[in-house]
Parts: sequence; structure tokens; C-alpha cells
Amino acid sequence: MTDYAVLLQQVINGLSLGAMYALLAIGFTLVYGILELINFAHFNVFMVGSFLGMWALEFLGLSGQSRVLTGLALVGALGFAFAVAMLGSGLLGVAIERIALRPLRGVGGTTGMITTIGVSYILFNIVLLGAGADAKNFPNPMPVVRWQVGGAVIDLREVLIWGIALVLMAALQLFVGKTRLGKAMRATAQDSEAARMMGVDVDRVIMIAFFLGSALAGAAALIFGLYYDYTSFLIGYTAGLRAFTAAVLGGIGSVTGAMVGGIMIGLIETLGGQFIAVRWTDVIIFSILILVLVFAPAGLFGRAAPTRS
Amino acid sequence: MLSRRALLIHLPAAALVAGSVMPVFAADKSVTIGIALPLTGADADDAALIKDGATLAIDDAKGEVAGYKINVTVLDNGTATAGQYDPAQAATNARKMVSDPSVVAAVGPQMSGDGKAMSAILSQGDLATITPASTNPDITDPKFAGQYRPAGKAVYFRTVTTDAFQGPNMANYYAKSLKVKRVYIVDDSGAYGVGMANAFEEQAKKVGIAVLGHDQLNPKEADYTTSLTKIKALNPDALYYGGVALAGVKLVKQSFDILPHIIKGGGDGMYSSSVLKGAGFPAVAGWYATIAAPYVFDDPEVTAWAKRFQAKYGRAPEGYSVTAYDAASVILDAIKRVAASGKPVTRSAVRDAIQSTQLKTLQGVVSFDENGDIKNRIVSVFQCVKDDKFPLDDVLHQFKYIGVAPQSA
Repeated sequence: MTDYAVLLQQVINGLSLGAMYALLAIGFTLVYGILELINFAHFNVFMVGSFLGMWALEFLGLSGQSRVLTGLALVGALGFAFAVAMLGSGLLGVAIERIALRPLRGVGGTTGMITTIGVSYILFNIVLLGAGADAKNFPNPMPVVRWQVGGAVIDLREVLIWGIALVLMAALQLFVGKTRLGKAMRATAQDSEAARMMGVDVDRVIMIAFFLGSALAGAAALIFGLYYDYTSFLIGYTAGLRAFTAAVLGGIGSVTGAMVGGIMIGLIETLGGQFIAVRWTDVIIFSILILVLVFAPAGLFGRAAPTRS
Repeated sequence: MLSRRALLIHLPAAALVAGSVMPVFAADKSVTIGIALPLTGADADDAALIKDGATLAIDDAKGEVAGYKINVTVLDNGTATAGQYDPAQAATNARKMVSDPSVVAAVGPQMSGDGKAMSAILSQGDLATITPASTNPDITDPKFAGQYRPAGKAVYFRTVTTDAFQGPNMANYYAKSLKVKRVYIVDDSGAYGVGMANAFEEQAKKVGIAVLGHDQLNPKEADYTTSLTKIKALNPDALYYGGVALAGVKLVKQSFDILPHIIKGGGDGMYSSSVLKGAGFPAVAGWYATIAAPYVFDDPEVTAWAKRFQAKYGRAPEGYSVTAYDAASVILDAIKRVAASGKPVTRSAVRDAIQSTQLKTLQGVVSFDENGDIKNRIVSVFQCVKDDKFPLDDVLHQFKYIGVAPQSA
């Protein structure tokens, strides 16, 4: 491989990682934008989402990588798995909000955040005890199709990841920008008190924010499983923390920022690994988090530091 | 808290005696053997096969030796937060065993990281353990005696040999039999993995293999594509991995995509049911693995034993089920000899008896040198070849025995 091909390959790897981080970062940002709450349960909603996706594929009789589907069967199987993972994760997010967070609404300080950490551990342990600690062989019905581009290899599943991530992010932008509910979300994010006075059902808006963020985490989780052919009860932590960094880097509260931040963190991870050393990846990523928090707390696309009225 | 709950799940009811602390000299004459293994986490499958091997030996003795009832207490060295073996938990378990006066010897641990954490504590308690699987040489190396056996006497015995042989012998096998010229080495940052990879690297250089690099994988990280792309760019003809299943599964999966055509191998961490299950075919096919013990399943006596094992536990044993059976047999034999000599069965008497073991076991005659290492030093090489007649996570049948890795001169 030439140096150029290696660089190109790492950019391809980085974009795939970045697409996952971006989808996951959106969940942090949506909830933060509206509630000014950092939802650490999101880490493990992602993890649960990957198990839901796995069970959906297993329900269709797929296991391991031995059975390859093509054409409509493949689209159907993946569509079903995405529906289950996204809907399941979305509902899980709503349930977390309804059961654990709504009773605390109006309680100030870090109570909400600490609660989400607790919920995160509950999900982690439920999956650990229920599904076992061993690494799971994620079923993957996608055929292995590869293209050579300038010495680098692009996999069909990578193209699929980018495509699905783009479609989902575009749909979200449309939803937030163009629909009535989206408008209500933006209004609530700006000033929930005023939005309530204008007749916006704030509880419903919050619920939708949790649903959308968690559903995108479910999609990211299924993509994760299909990309690595792997899942385990452990996957939430590293991916979640990096996605959170991505959200902060992009400007927490900003959907565009989360997308750009996610892609950037993905690229930093692979290019940093290539040109510095893989074992420094976390140091690089979290140094960026600290630098952003110190010097530009609003991030790339964020509003100025939030103030409570 | 969690480990205790996890423990309850794995515990057979018979083992629930940990709570009742009985003095050794009690009228009912019973002693306890501890078993400390990572029963939670990525290596749980293999830990269970080791545990079953040890308990089978005790059941074969009908739970009794020389008039002493043998109780078993099973401790879980794995935790959910670590996701695999956890040296901090292992140290706690070592203290638990030392503080229970009925415990006279132990089987375990499986992992060298755990062994490093436990050995000094066991030494101070004069409690011998026999590991059927942990192979890091430092623990029994007299150079590190101050660190791992501060009380002086050997307490860390092994029914397997060490990575001082496993790593280098595999390097010899890479050079001589597989004709490898350019190798890239990765490890999983754990005590066992790093030691194994370093030992391999040292010998690889001696036998003329070009070592293109040596990288560490973070076992909690999901993505190794960055590392593997880097490796691909260097164009090696082989990869060697020192480590256990947690990172191993992901390495197998992702290297299958990125480095499909090169020779790939690891140590006893890869000769594993957890790896077969997590990585699955076709990704794992072709991987080489070793164990630090002789391959004995051609022996009719062992074949009969394996049938009994299968009948009792519902799955086939693996190499370290044999060494675990041997470890427990050595302990039972030591208790018998102490009792026969008329001395009270104390842990220090049992330790001394283990030290002077000369016992015919499944793997042959077991005896130990003054550091606790087994005198028989054989490393067996396997290659993963799919066999549809058996369950796909059955280590015994999905890894084909190739031969003994050449010893360094």
C-alpha cells in the first residue's frame, strides 16, 4: 500500500466511525438542547439497541455470517432490524424519561444527570445478567462486496453505513426545521416557559426529543453491529464517551454541530492512530474535549454558554 | 456486590459452604479447596470448562479423601466493570481464602493478571494454589520472588508450563514450520498478553524473523481497523497476538476483513471456546493457537475421561479442563499423603506435600521444581479447522492438533 492509499483507507475508516458517532451524538444534543441535561443513560441505550438489532436478525433465522441475503430479502431483513432497533431504543428512551426523569423535573442541580448515570448502570447490568458477558457474534446477512479505490478498499457495508446515516440525519434536519413539532422543539429549546405559554405541550416535546435521540442511537447500534459483526454489554462506554465528546466539540445543543463533531472525532481517531499511535487515541480525543471546554465552551456550532433565566 | 450475585448464578448448590467457617480440626474432619476463576466476563466459557475439570476430580474422589470431607468454595475473579478477569477482585478472593482457615489449597487462577495480584497474598497466608492455565513466567520466577512470594516458599504451582516456553516455541514454529519472514505482533495490554508477546518477539528476532512492529490493543475498544490498516500497510506475512478473548474476538473479526490472507496465531488465550463463539466461522478458521501442556486426547484413558466429562457437563472438555483435573488431583493426593503421615492437615503441610508431588495424572507424571513450575515443558500447536460434526464452539474438535512446537536449543 502506498502512503496515499493508507491515508485514504484511514479516512474511509474514520468516516464510518464518524457516522456512528454522529448518530449517537445527536441524542446527547437533542436532550441537552431542550432540558440542559446530559443524558448518560444514552450510552447504554445504544448498547441495548445493538442487542435489539441482534435479536431481530436472529428472529429472522440469521446467525453468524454464514447466510448471505441479496436483493429484496436483504432490504427486508435490514429494514426489519432497523425498525426493531430504532423503535425499541426510542421507546426505551421515552420510558427512561417518563419513569426516571420526569418526576425530577424542576429539581435543580445535577440530580437529573446523576439519575441518568444510575439508569445507565441498571441497563448495563440487566443486559449483563440477562444476555451474558461473552462477546456476541452479530448476525450479518450482507454479502461481502468490495471496491478498490486508489489502493484503498471500500466495503459495501461502509457505503451502506454512510448512506443510512446521511438519510437519517437529513430526515432529522427536515423534521426539526420544517415540521410543526420541530418548531415546537426549537421553541422549547430557546425558552421552555415561553413555549409553554404559547400553548406548546412541553412534556410531549421532551418525550419526542428522547424518542428521536434514542431511536438514532438504536440505528447507530445496528450499524455498529453490522460493521464489526460483534456486540457485547460493554460497547456503550467507549462509543458513548466519544460521541459525547463529539457533541461537545460540535457545540452541545446543535444538531448540525453533533453531525460535524461526530465525523471529526471519527477522523481524529483513525488519523491520530495512523500518524501518532493507536494507544494515544483516547488521550488525543479527551484532550480535545478539555481544550474545547476551556477555550470554546460553545463548540463549533453551539450557542453561547447556556444561561438559565 | 455484583460479583457475589454473579457467583450465586454459577455456584452449584454443593459449593455453598463458604459462609460456614470450620476449623480444620473439627470433629467432622472436613477441609476446603478454593477455586478462583473469572466466571463472569469475556472468558466465562473457558473458566467454566476449567472449573468443571477441577470439580470432576473432586467428585471422582466422592468428595472425600483419607477420611476428610472435601468442601469446595468457588470464587469469581471476573467483574462486570472489567468485562473480563479483574485483578482487584482476584486479590479480594485471595484474601477471602486466606482468612478462611478451612481452606487448605486452591485451584486457579486462569489469568496471569489475577495470579500476579493473588500470589503475594497467598504467600503470606502460606496457602498453595495450583493454576491449570496461567502461564506468565514472572510469577514463579525467582528474580521476582520478593514481589510474588515474599514469605519465601513457592505457593504458586502450575500444571501447565509458562510463556517462557509458550511464546518462544511458537516463534520457532513460525520460523521453521510456517516459514514466516515478516511478522507483526499485537497484545491486549494485560499481564499475560504483554508477557507472551514480548517472549515471542525476543525469540522471533533470534530465529531471523523481521518484527515489523509491536502494538497494544485496548481490550475495551471496539474498533481495531485503524491498527489493522497500519499493519496492512507494512505488508507482513504473519500476525501474532498475545492476549485473551475480549480483544481477541474483535481482532479475529476485523483482521478477517482487513488482512484475510496472512498467517495468524496466538497462544492459549486463543485456544478458547469464547473466541470460537464470539468470532465464529469463517473469521476464526485458519488461526493458530497453542496450549502450554501436552495434547493427550489421543490417549484412550483420556478419551474415556473426556466421555465422562461430556456426559456430566454436556460439553466436551478442552486442554485446560485436563490440567484443572490434574491440579485438583494433585491437591487431593497431597491431602492424602499428609493425612497418611499422621500430621494434621494444615495448609502449610499441604503446601509442602504439593511441593514433593510425584503423581501420575492425565497429562503424565506431574512434579514441580522449587519455584512451583511443572517440570514437563511441552507446548502444543493447534489450527482452527471447521468440523461440522461438532458444536462450533467446541474447542476440542474445532482446533486440530498439529504437533509440539519446537523447543529452543
